[in-house]
Amino acid sequence: MSEQEVNTDNQETQRQKYSDKEAARIFDQEFMPHVNSMYNFAYRLTFDEDDAKDLVQDTYLKAFRFINSFEQGTNAKAWLFRILKNSFINEFRKKSKQPAKVDYNEVESYYNSDDIDENITTDLRVETVQHMIGDEITSALNGIPVDFRTVIILSDLEGFTYEEMSKILDIPIGTVRSRLHRARNMLKDKLAVYAKEMGYNK
Amino acid sequence: MSEFSDWFKDTFKGCYCEKGNLVDERRFSEIVQLVLDNEADEESRAIFEEKIRTCVKSCGSFEKEKSLRETIKQKLFDHKKDIPNDLAASIKKSINL
Repeated sequence: MSEQEVNTDNQETQRQKYSDKEAARIFDQEFMPHVNSMYNFAYRLTFDEDDAKDLVQDTYLKAFRFINSFEQGTNAKAWLFRILKNSFINEFRKKSKQPAKVDYNEVESYYNSDDIDENITTDLRVETVQHMIGDEITSALNGIPVDFRTVIILSDLEGFTYEEMSKILDIPIGTVRSRLHRARNMLKDKLAVYAKEMGYNK
Repeated sequence: MSEFSDWFKDTFKGCYCEKGNLVDERRFSEIVQLVLDNEADEESRAIFEEKIRTCVKSCGSFEKEKSLRETIKQKLFDHKKDIPNDLAASIKKSINL
């Protein structure tokens, strides 16, 4: 893990020089309150409790190790999520127990193609979704490729802005917008197929 | 994100409201996303609000998307995983806090 991977932008971050006491306070008061969100994000990426736990622990260790790269008053949660996402890509994705192997470039190019317009008008009724339980919606979310799943989690469950997501994911804001739009359509497609299979639409 | 307001205007230009015909549903759906995500600037939001106030089809599409989004979000939110009891303590222990 390089220091660049913990920085929240491409510019060189000014290093701080926190005393041990200050570092401990920042860690305890600014980082630890996000442990619940971090664990849920990790679990939704790995689908495994032990892997999620390891990923969160690893993230916090890195956060402490590179705490001098964190500037007080900036967004600690976004900084931690960025570290977690990089750890997942660099280390955990390789051994993830996720069964489906997806060619993300293929998925991106498919959803960037003109064919997307054909699939945009999924007929998913609000009443149908209201009948579903959390497990079913979660399964549908888990069924979409991780890069698309991630933007839905960051936006809808964690409340990050496009700008924050852009920094966490290292992608331009325009890509955040288009990926999020495609991700939500993919989720709706999954839910519509599931609803049809389960007879929710009758 | 003021560049969006032109995009908003351009999208709505082709909408023949009196025929209940929203010409570009894909672009409208992207605009709705920006509005619901609070990412549309003031000018764009004003254009959008005027549009849904005067166009039945746009208003219906917006309300449906809003309800779908809220329902999905709430169900996912309610289905969060409980954090292991010892996780916070073991993190603190690992860095001697």
